[in-house]
Amino acid sequence: MSEADLSVPFNRRAASAMKDAHLQEALTIATTKFIGLRREAFGDFPEGERLRDLAREIKEATLQRLDGYLEQLIDNVERLGGRVHYAATAAEARGAVLDIARRTGARMAVKSKSMATEEIHLNEALEAAGVTAVETDLGEYIIQLAHERPSHIIAPAIHKTKGQVADLFAKELRRPVAADPEALTRIARGELREKFLHADLGITGANFAIADTGTVVLVSNEGNARMVTSLPRVHVAVMGVEKVVPSMTDLMVFLQILAKSATGQKLSVYTTLVRGPRRTGELEGPDEFHLVLLDNGRIRQLAGTLRESLYCLRCGACLNVCPVYRQIGGHAYGYTYPGPIGILLTAMLDGPSAVKDLAHASSLCGACVDACPVRIDIPRMLVELRRELDEKRLAPWTERLAYGLLARVLSNPRLYRWAKPVARLVQRPFARDGAIRSAPLLGEWTRTRDLPAVASVTFQERWKDLEREAQ
Amino acid sequence: MTTRVEFLSRIRGEMAKTRGLFPARTAPRPADPRGVAEMLKRELAERWPAAVERFQREFERVGGVFYRVRALADVPQVVAGIAREREVRRLVAWDARELGGDLLAALEARGLDPVAMPPGEVPAEERTRLRRLVADAALGLTGVDLAIAETGTLVVRSGAGRPRSTSLLPPVHIAVFDRTALIESLGQAGVFLEAWQGEESSGTGAVVSFITGPSRTADIELTLTRGVHGPKEVHAVFVEAPIRG
Repeated sequence: MSEADLSVPFNRRAASAMKDAHLQEALTIATTKFIGLRREAFGDFPEGERLRDLAREIKEATLQRLDGYLEQLIDNVERLGGRVHYAATAAEARGAVLDIARRTGARMAVKSKSMATEEIHLNEALEAAGVTAVETDLGEYIIQLAHERPSHIIAPAIHKTKGQVADLFAKELRRPVAADPEALTRIARGELREKFLHADLGITGANFAIADTGTVVLVSNEGNARMVTSLPRVHVAVMGVEKVVPSMTDLMVFLQILAKSATGQKLSVYTTLVRGPRRTGELEGPDEFHLVLLDNGRIRQLAGTLRESLYCLRCGACLNVCPVYRQIGGHAYGYTYPGPIGILLTAMLDGPSAVKDLAHASSLCGACVDACPVRIDIPRMLVELRRELDEKRLAPWTERLAYGLLARVLSNPRLYRWAKPVARLVQRPFARDGAIRSAPLLGEWTRTRDLPAVASVTFQERWKDLEREAQ
Repeated sequence: MTTRVEFLSRIRGEMAKTRGLFPARTAPRPADPRGVAEMLKRELAERWPAAVERFQREFERVGGVFYRVRALADVPQVVAGIAREREVRRLVAWDARELGGDLLAALEARGLDPVAMPPGEVPAEERTRLRRLVADAALGLTGVDLAIAETGTLVVRSGAGRPRSTSLLPPVHIAVFDRTALIESLGQAGVFLEAWQGEESSGTGAVVSFITGPSRTADIELTLTRGVHGPKEVHAVFVEAPIRG
């Protein structure tokens, strides 16, 4: 399945993903592997649990003084010769980057992996302004050639086979290419190396930004973030406001759990701490450094129901353990951020109505909370969202009527007693062995599951009998 | 476009509506990071043999190649061996003062073609030329500011005479260090990062890089492949005798 089409309803997108045999296999292999690697990494690391609690506390403490930490970050970046831009919306963020590109006469931009720039659809805007945007993370490069979007936060191309990647490369390079990961990686290295050396603009996100020092921190395995921040003459970092952390000491707490949660590594290969433009005496580094601070729905959530999702480190651990993500993959969600946390982030960016179906794409099993390095209570917020959506009356009237009646009956003992014999009578033609497998009007429900029938003797009735026997 | 004042006042407006989810504090920072760093160095001067063993284990686990030599003068031989095996000669190195010793003559004598990076500011055209030269080199020779045993990580600070590209563009990176760079944990690294803030001099660069093994990716069918953008090989040479005497 390629780009998700939002005009197709979510259940149809999910159904077609589940029929895609190749996607199913890729998802099972990838998520199972990630789960194992994460478990091993924390198994060898007894301090892990305490550090997760500490990391969670740092995130909350930072949000409680967010204005102060951001001001400190801004002052430090400016003191180091960088410039800070303030973007309330995705359009403002795109505008800021395009202005920089135009003013510096940039023709080509190299990008390292960044969900924030995916979120604001920066590549399309750059291309429309005549700036070639090149994704340099191998997975992102692959999906850029395929004109798709990432299907996993940290493994954007897990849905592609090596054969499909070879075909994409062959088409791009107009020559035959072997379907071998080693050979394909070598080709990408050669192609992208030239781009790094010739690009005018380097665009990154930020895993963290340190208020105390004005440092932007980038975590990668391939080394592209180092290239992007060192070789082009201008560096632009786009970051959500919630990424700020107070100090280097805080940063170390996060670094000790981030890679373990994401890929099971003790530390990713490269952690790059960047402070502003090139300094005197340095051979490389940009002449200009820009930091774009992005709101795009985040700030409103400081006091909103989704506040806790502002703790998210974008590690992808909750995707791997989610029984829904494991079945449908990232594209079926239809938005930039997939998986359980993705539902919350989508609601944050695009408003609750965007997730009227997605909010129900969770069994609320809580596997995501256990996997999350900062223990974000995703199920709690999903339930809140469902409640909000109910209040907005977005569900179909039939569904609202059914649940409304049910709520009445269940909360009123007299009504409940009266309803039991009626229900037994109505269900008689359909109930078999305590379950209704199909019935008129219930098609949507019974297509994928049974509806429990009202018991022939209910618990209350049985209890009464027992009391009578005891006397 | 939103201004700084508008942006921050929106944040304050939202913050005022809530007290947050629970009482919380940030991580406790050392009051005197430089003092703590000094103390750590003194303690580690006793514990380095265990640290170097752990470093080796972790560094090899992430795909690094570890060597142990007696003195800095033994390093050229190791480097020449790596070059010979790969049939390459072009090497770029940090400036001698940054490396802790001049190895160029010894490297040349062993058949290599080494170039040292300038110790200070050079004009823009020269920077372009040198960058091309680094990009074409087969080997990059650097020092190390911290070697973290817990993770097998090399920490290098950029600056005059120590370009970022020497540990990035050549396919083989060789890093030389001694016990003074060895620390045990990421937590300790945090103390040094805090301590470095106060002691920036004119030659200090803008970047600190943590390097944990060779560049890698698993983006195609989760097959681990090395050397996607950064070096395909990372070699760490531990020098037993302190490099700076």
